[in-house]
Amino acid sequence: MGLLDHIWLGIVTVFSADPVFSIAGLPISITIVMVILGFLFGIFVGATPGIGGPFAMAISLPILISVFGFDANALLPVLGFLVGIMKGSTIGGAVPAILFNTPGTPDSLMTTLDGYPLTKRGQPGKALRVAHFSSVSGDTFSDIVLITCAPFLAILVEKFLDFPEKAALIILSLAFVSAVVGSNVWKGMLAALLGLFIAYIGTGEDGHPRLSMGSDSLAAGFPLISAVLGVLILGEVFKSLEDMWREMKDTSSITHVEVKGDNKLHLSDIRRILPFIGISASIGTMIGALPGIGSTLAATLGYATGRKYHKGSPAFGEGAIEGIAATEAANSAVAGANLIPVLSLGIPGNVSAVFILLATETISGFTPGPQVFRLVPDQINQEMVYAFGLFTTMIFANGLNWTLGGIFMRWMGVMIRIPKQRLLPIVLLLTLTAIYVQQTTMFAVYVTLGFGFLGYLMRKLNMSVLAFIIAYILANNLEEAMRQAFAVTGADPWFLFAGPISITFMVLAIAVVVFFARNQKDLS
Amino acid sequence: MQKFSTAFQKAPWTLGLALFFIVTSLFTLFVWIPIDIETGVIETFRRRVTIGDAMAPTIMTVGILVTSILMGLIAIIRPVSAVEGLDRKSFYFIFRLVIAIAIGLALMMHAGPLLVDLVNALGGEIGTYRNLRGTYPYKIFGYMLGGFALIFGCIGVVENRFTLGSAGVSLLAVIVLTILYEVPFDNMLLPPNGNN
Repeated sequence: MGLLDHIWLGIVTVFSADPVFSIAGLPISITIVMVILGFLFGIFVGATPGIGGPFAMAISLPILISVFGFDANALLPVLGFLVGIMKGSTIGGAVPAILFNTPGTPDSLMTTLDGYPLTKRGQPGKALRVAHFSSVSGDTFSDIVLITCAPFLAILVEKFLDFPEKAALIILSLAFVSAVVGSNVWKGMLAALLGLFIAYIGTGEDGHPRLSMGSDSLAAGFPLISAVLGVLILGEVFKSLEDMWREMKDTSSITHVEVKGDNKLHLSDIRRILPFIGISASIGTMIGALPGIGSTLAATLGYATGRKYHKGSPAFGEGAIEGIAATEAANSAVAGANLIPVLSLGIPGNVSAVFILLATETISGFTPGPQVFRLVPDQINQEMVYAFGLFTTMIFANGLNWTLGGIFMRWMGVMIRIPKQRLLPIVLLLTLTAIYVQQTTMFAVYVTLGFGFLGYLMRKLNMSVLAFIIAYILANNLEEAMRQAFAVTGADPWFLFAGPISITFMVLAIAVVVFFARNQKDLS
Repeated sequence: MQKFSTAFQKAPWTLGLALFFIVTSLFTLFVWIPIDIETGVIETFRRRVTIGDAMAPTIMTVGILVTSILMGLIAIIRPVSAVEGLDRKSFYFIFRLVIAIAIGLALMMHAGPLLVDLVNALGGEIGTYRNLRGTYPYKIFGYMLGGFALIFGCIGVVENRFTLGSAGVSLLAVIVLTILYEVPFDNMLLPPNGNN
C-alpha cells in the first residue's frame, strides 16, 4: 500500500466511519460531529478570560475517554474533539483582547495594543474580522507545513536514528525545554529532573515496584492523567485564585462602545495585511516546531517584526490592522507546527501537544513517533491511516474556522461577563470529577490535588511546569531507549557518545544549557 | 559569609530551594534508593550485563544534586533579586483553600453513607449504602452536597464572603455537572460510588 492509499483511507475513515445520523442521505460520522462540537467549545473557552484551549482539552480528555473507551475506534473522535478545541480557541482568544482590552490568554496580549484602540474608534467589527482572517491564515499555513514536513522528518528519524541517538534526542529536547522556558535555567533543569524522577516511582522491570514505599496504590506509579491535570490545570487554578484574592479586580466595569464607521474587511485591507500575515505565520511555524517555546513568544516576535516593517499611519499601537494581523497570525501558526515534534519524534513541545499525546497514550492503536509513517509493502499501516485521519480533522476544523469561525467569534463578547473567581472553582470540581470518573478511585483525586499543589508551588517559585510535564511524559521512553541502547552497544557505558549523531545531540544539549545559563540575566 | 547573606536577602527562595533539593537528593541517594529498589544500577545475569531499575532514579537524583549545588553557588556568587516564593498571605490563602477543599471532599465521601445511616436510624430499614449506591437520591447525594460545598467554599475563600449569589452559582454548577455525568452515561460512577 502506497502513501496515497493511506491518505485516502485516513480521509474516508474520518468522514464515513461510525455515522451517527445523515443529512439528505449523506451519513455524518461521529468524528465529524466531535470536531464540530470541539470547535464550538474551543471558541467558547477561548473567548473566556482565564480559560484557554489547554484548560478545555484537559477537562474534556477524561470525559471523552470515559465515553468512547480505550480501543482504537475511540481515537479519531477523541482526537477530533481535541483538535476542534485547539482550532476554536485560537480565534476565540482575540475576542476579549479586542473588545475589552483583556487578553483571554497571554498570547493575545499584543492583540490588545491595536485591537482595543480600533474598538474605541467604533470599529470592533473590523478588528475582529482582521483577527479572524489573520488567525485562520496563520493556522492554515502552519497545518500545511505540518502535513508536508512531519512524515518526511519521521522517515529521516527512522532511517538515521537508532536507540543511542533516540535517547540523546530526548535528552536534547529536555535540555532545550528546561533552558528556554522560564527565567532560570537551573530551575528549569530541576523541574525536568524532578519530573523524570517522580515518573520512575512505582515503575521498572523488576517484580518489586521501585520507590513505592510498600504502597500498593503506588505500585503502578502515579496515574499519568492525575499528574498532568494536577500540575498543569489545578496548579494554575490555585495560583489564579490566589492572584484574584489578592487583587479582587472588579470585572463588572465594562465600557460599551458605540459601533460606527467602516467595520468591514475589504480586499484592500487584505492586501495591506497579507505581507504581515506571511512573515508572522513563518515565525510562528518555526517557533511552534521547537519544543517548549510557546505562542506568547511567537506573538511577541511577530508583532515586533511587523512593527519594524510597517510604514504609514496609523502606527503600531494606535489601532493599525497590521498590528492585529502580525500578532494573530504568529500565535495561531504555532498550533499546527507544535504537532511536528509529536508526530515525527513522539516528543511534545507545548501544552496542547501534551494533551494530544496523552490521548494517544491512553487510547490504544496509535503511538506517535517515527514508526507512524513507515510504509510496509502490501500492508496497511493503521497508524499512518490514523495520522492522516488526524490531519483530515485539522483541515476540516480549519474549514469550520474559515466559514463559521468569524460569525461565532463575534457572538462571544458576552463571555467577558463571567466572573473568573466563580468559574475556576467549577473548573476545579469538573477536573476532579473527570479524574474520578476515569480512574474510579479517590486515590487518583488525592494524587491530582497533590500534583495541583506541586504545580502551584512550582509557579510561585518560578519553576517551569512545562519542563516538568514533558519530562514526566518522556521518562519511560528515555529509560527504555537507554536500556535498549546499552544492550545494542554491548553494555558500553558511553553509549550516548557511540556515534556522530548522538555526540552532536549531546554536545548541543550541553551547549543549549551553557548558552542560556550565561545569558540568564537577559532572559529574566 | 557576607556573600551568602547578600544572596539570602536577594533571593531567599532560590537558595532555600537549592538547600532543600541538596538534602532530599542526598537522602534519596543514600537511603531511599538503596532500601526501596531491589535491582542495582547495573545487573549481571548469566554474563549478560543490563541496566537495573536503580539506574534511572540514581542518574536523576545525582542530576538534581549537581544542579541544586550549581544553582546555589551561582545565587551566592552572582546574587540577583528575584520576585518569587510564598509570603504569609500565600500560606494564609492556601490554608483556607485546603480547608474548603477538604470539607467538600469529606462531604462527598461520607454524606451518602451518613444519609443512609440516618434513614436507617429513623426506622427506614433501607439497607447499607453499598447496596444503595446505584439508587437515587443516595447515589448523587454525596457528590452534590460535597461538590456544592467545594465550589461555594472556594468562591468564599477568594471573595472573602459567602453570598446568596455564589450559593446560587455553586448549586447551579453542581446540578449541571451531575446531569452532565448522570443522564447521558449509564456506566459513569460519580464519587464516591466507584470505590470498592
